[in-house]
Amino acid sequence: MLRNFKEMRIEDYPVCAISLDTTLLNKTGTWRIFRPVYENKIPPCRDACPAGEDIQKYIYLSQKGNYEEGYQTILKNNPFPSITGRVCFHPCEDACNRREYDEPIAIHHIERFLGDYGLEKVEKKNPTRRKAETEKKVAVIGSGPAGLSFAYYLAQEGFGVTILEKESLPGGLLRTGIPAYRLPKEVLDKEIRKLEKLGVKFITNTTFPKNLSLSDLKTKYHILFFGTGAQKERKLEVPNEDADGVLEGISFLKIANLGKRIKIGKKVLVIGGGNTAVDCARVVKRLGKDVTILYRRTKEEMPASPEEIEGAEEEGIKIFYLVAPVKVLISRQRKVKGLECIRMKLGTPDSSGRRRPIPIKGSNFTLPADTIIKAIGESVELEILPKEIERTNWGIKTDSTGMTNLKNILAGGDCVTGPQTVVKAIASGRRAAERVLWEMKNKELPKEEKKEIVSFARLNTFYFEKRPRVKMSKIPLRERKTFKEINLGYNEEELLIETERCFSCGICNQCDNCYIFCPDLAVKKKEDGYKFDYDYCKGCGVCAQECPRYAITMYPEGEL
Amino acid sequence: MKLNEITGVKKVVTGNHAVSYGVLLARAQVIAAYPITPQTQIVELLSEFCATGLLKAKFIKVESEHSAMAACVGASISGVRAFTATSAQGLALMHEMLHWAVGARLPIVVANVNRAMGPGWSVWTDQNDSLSQRDVGMIQLYCESNQEVLDTTIQSFKIAEKVLLPVMVILDAFVLSHTSEPVDIPTLEEVDAFLPPYQPRHYLDINNPQAFGGLTSPDHYYEIRMKIEIAHQEALKVAKKVDEEFKERFGRGYGLIEPYYCDDAKVILVTSGTITGTAREVIDEERRKGRKVGLLKIRLFRPTPKDEIKEVLLRADKIAVIDRNISFGHSGIFAQEIKSIFYNAYRKPPIFDFIIGLGGRDVRSEDIKEIIDYVFKKDYPTEDAIFKGVRL
Repeated sequence: MLRNFKEMRIEDYPVCAISLDTTLLNKTGTWRIFRPVYENKIPPCRDACPAGEDIQKYIYLSQKGNYEEGYQTILKNNPFPSITGRVCFHPCEDACNRREYDEPIAIHHIERFLGDYGLEKVEKKNPTRRKAETEKKVAVIGSGPAGLSFAYYLAQEGFGVTILEKESLPGGLLRTGIPAYRLPKEVLDKEIRKLEKLGVKFITNTTFPKNLSLSDLKTKYHILFFGTGAQKERKLEVPNEDADGVLEGISFLKIANLGKRIKIGKKVLVIGGGNTAVDCARVVKRLGKDVTILYRRTKEEMPASPEEIEGAEEEGIKIFYLVAPVKVLISRQRKVKGLECIRMKLGTPDSSGRRRPIPIKGSNFTLPADTIIKAIGESVELEILPKEIERTNWGIKTDSTGMTNLKNILAGGDCVTGPQTVVKAIASGRRAAERVLWEMKNKELPKEEKKEIVSFARLNTFYFEKRPRVKMSKIPLRERKTFKEINLGYNEEELLIETERCFSCGICNQCDNCYIFCPDLAVKKKEDGYKFDYDYCKGCGVCAQECPRYAITMYPEGEL
Repeated sequence: MKLNEITGVKKVVTGNHAVSYGVLLARAQVIAAYPITPQTQIVELLSEFCATGLLKAKFIKVESEHSAMAACVGASISGVRAFTATSAQGLALMHEMLHWAVGARLPIVVANVNRAMGPGWSVWTDQNDSLSQRDVGMIQLYCESNQEVLDTTIQSFKIAEKVLLPVMVILDAFVLSHTSEPVDIPTLEEVDAFLPPYQPRHYLDINNPQAFGGLTSPDHYYEIRMKIEIAHQEALKVAKKVDEEFKERFGRGYGLIEPYYCDDAKVILVTSGTITGTAREVIDEERRKGRKVGLLKIRLFRPTPKDEIKEVLLRADKIAVIDRNISFGHSGIFAQEIKSIFYNAYRKPPIFDFIIGLGGRDVRSEDIKEIIDYVFKKDYPTEDAIFKGVRL
């Protein structure tokens, strides 16, 4: 050890300043005023996903080729990735930070790959996943996405679930509303088969309350779930709306999608700008007729998803913007022969935030037509709902878990929210199931994570190459005369290239940057990540700065 | 390239390549350098030696001279023989790391080609770049010929490793660096016998982990600094011994200083670098005319062989220092050094200072003759520095 320095002479010293011990003696952690902490945050995609899918995780697993675990990861939040991978409007991609860099990650294509992989490889492995029915009996009214999702999560926990469907086949709007070129029937059937494997019973051709009343159900089942959707087409409120040849979009799609014969003319007008309108037009086109969409605002305000609009345009469907119907022109036999329209201009924004269309006086014109399909929006068929159930102006009133005012009666999907999306319906079904599990099995309700959502500015994009999004292959236009699926799906190579684009916002994926850059070797590698050695970490923040994905947070020392 | 074709022969080589051959023969193990005119050829040839396997050294490309010296520091502290070469701004950029090399007592050899500092940009020679590093604590050796460059390079490793101080071998830009002269290149065996492998006395040892150059309190710093000063005193003896041993083996020696016709000289010129060669010619001529003029070449600038210098110069009535450098606001740097040696001497001959040849302007024999004439005429200098050849 050191002697009293005054006794030390030159010959006692080393040739230069050399420490007497290793540098480990110097616990530089005491210098720290900021403390780095490994702290995973919420990627914006997950935050934006109505079902809260752990998107980063399944993309990460896909990168490693671990598709099965990726598939299982999705199932925790959404039982039907093959459906949403095809039809979801993917708000996750709108939120994706990569959008600010080059192009967002094609999350729904990845989801579809994993969903299809699951159906082909995972589900087939387990011929049945049926659980012993240990719990109460449950009835689900309506076999749309909300009901299916609710049934899935309860059947998994041993509840005996029966789904009632008024049509001949289950699936609700997934079957009747979405054309097969977007969602093939086989895919839907396979997804529904998952429920059958779990022991869920389907009773089709049964209409509520015509065939089964509320009291009937209450005697047979302990828990009820309403997932009856919103399928009442809104009226145009123009003269001759009831003429022969004016069809409702939802009904038209239902007949077409169930493969029934349908009578339409040679010249078809579709009124509306939502997905129903575009679906109708693309179906009409496939039936070999001339079709034009009329929309009262511009393309920018059009609520249909951009992919659908693009698809319609590719297929040669005309879209007239800033046009509204005034009057259906009819023959003496009250058959449609045309539509009187008026041109519109955009005024100030309305309650939806979109600019209000205003008719331009004297700009009326007529379009010849023998069929008019109105698809200007749907609403909930409130009249079929039991009188005892409390409602809002647009549907069933529930709390955030889907519980209605009536004991053991829950609801979800469009019949609660009004017309919304498949993924929101799936999410509401899951949340209602979680509520039941909480009440019946004491399972804790999942808490909303109060973590920071990672913004683009938080990322260190130095570490990412600009690379375009991998385009989904489509069948050629000449093959789009049938209901064959348009999108071909990613192959494994495309999947790998696309998944590698993921920033993994806010979530450590063990890239080793912190480990490499730490000037004090204070980052220790563990099997499942890293650990700071706070004895030596000076809190310089290089790790946090060089972390490409903001998985490290710097806290003022003492604040944690 | 074959070793037996390029060594053990007399070759016509530039000063730069003389350095390269010296480093090859010294078996440097790590070379880190950044190119700069007029030094680049040194490391160019060395990189070829490394690429062809003639020299088993790690050649580290770096992004600056600061990094070049940092890499040498790292290499040297791990216990291997390290070399770098630079010039002018490059040396200036290396400055901080030079202190490191000295403070950590690392025997790194640096070849510096004397080039004037910019701006105005110059690639031509003067000594201000190396003299700006006077106080970092490196040994400095100024060379007169390409043969001396090669021999000094080899000697430098031996001196450095004996006293644990970095050594700067200095040669004039273009006058030596790019000028070819016949040079005796020894064989590797001969050099091996003279210069054994480096045996580090302190180095990074993973079995005995220690940190080098850490925080040193006022209680200890001075003593460790004093060791550097003692090493410099030691270096005076070591450099002399190494030169003598070299002479014994290779037949060539240079001394720390070299007096030329000084025994009976009334006036002695003091020079360094290539001006010495020019001055020799002038002295020969003046001597033929019977003028008692001599020449003292300073080879070892740091540590300064003060006693030897004093002993020679005390014989003269007057001294004329020729400085290819300037310390602005004062005078020529060699002149200051020589004057300081005499302050406490029993006799103080008048010392004239001539500043000449800055930025590579030719120093001709006429200029030196004029200097001699001037000093013979004057009893004592009327100004601190005479700016020779400047167009005022």
